[in-house]
Amino acid sequence: MIELLSIIIGIVLLLLGLATKGWLAARHLQETLPATGEATAAPPCPESFVSSVFSRDDWEFVRGLKADGIERLFRRERKKVALVWVRQTSMMIRKAMREHAEAARQSENLEFTTEVNILAQFLVLMVVCGILSVAIEAAGPLFLGGLARFAQRLSQRVVKVQESFQAVAPAKAANRTA
Amino acid sequence: MVVPDRLVAVEQAYDDLLRRSLSKIEGDLARLIYLASTRDYNTGKYHHDGLAARFQEEIAGQALELAHREIFCRIATSSLEELVAQVEIYVSSSRQSREEVLQVWQKLEPYRVALPVDVNIAVAQLFVSNIKLALAILLQRCQREELAASRS
Repeated sequence: MIELLSIIIGIVLLLLGLATKGWLAARHLQETLPATGEATAAPPCPESFVSSVFSRDDWEFVRGLKADGIERLFRRERKKVALVWVRQTSMMIRKAMREHAEAARQSENLEFTTEVNILAQFLVLMVVCGILSVAIEAAGPLFLGGLARFAQRLSQRVVKVQESFQAVAPAKAANRTA
Repeated sequence: MVVPDRLVAVEQAYDDLLRRSLSKIEGDLARLIYLASTRDYNTGKYHHDGLAARFQEEIAGQALELAHREIFCRIATSSLEELVAQVEIYVSSSRQSREEVLQVWQKLEPYRVALPVDVNIAVAQLFVSNIKLALAILLQRCQREELAASRS
């Protein structure tokens, strides 16, 4: 029983650690772009972006060249781009959550299940960003395409939910005052 | 109905730009460099005499910006193999030797000027990164060809 409890506590701590890593990932990007807000204000990445960065085809092409120097350069460059994307995704989600929290504070009829669902998606995204960040730093982005696409889909969903929530909240508030 | 009219005009100017100018340029990278060169470094505004004469100055500028963004996005997310081919087409069209152009591009990184304004930072990073790789691949190819030639 104690062993099972320690495993559960270990897993929870690991997930918390990864979520913190995902949360902190955005900080690096903020440091490189001081006070501009560029990373979140800029248009979103095109759909094909994640496939391009995490592409196995590009790696196969580079490997076919049989040049160690180019392979090393490829790994270094792709790692850099992938980390920028993870940090940008983390930053975008944090911004969406901040805006959601502000809108929720003003809303009087919050739906408990919706709020829990959004929070769960946010936590999952932070854990995924943390895993991606650690894995990319350790081994590069080449085998993480599936997880990256999952993070992209989930982040798009969270942003959409937040946008629709923000669109509905002022309308509800206006109806109440009328 | 001011806005739709304006959109239609931008679309017409864009089609005109594709038909008259861009279709005559070989390769997307060369088109991208050309479009970036129509932008004023100080104001960030695009200008094209012929297009501005056929449409309004502002409409022409918007069409140029639209084309710039579209081609940039296409190149930034293309495969590395395709990009190497694009850089090769561009470099081969120059009067200077291929190796010389590649080395200058590696040192001066003029392709950074081709980034549209307010582009997504990760997409910009991917573009710069892929061009660096394409240049390294082509330079290595040149060196291998030279080595093979000197051996024979």
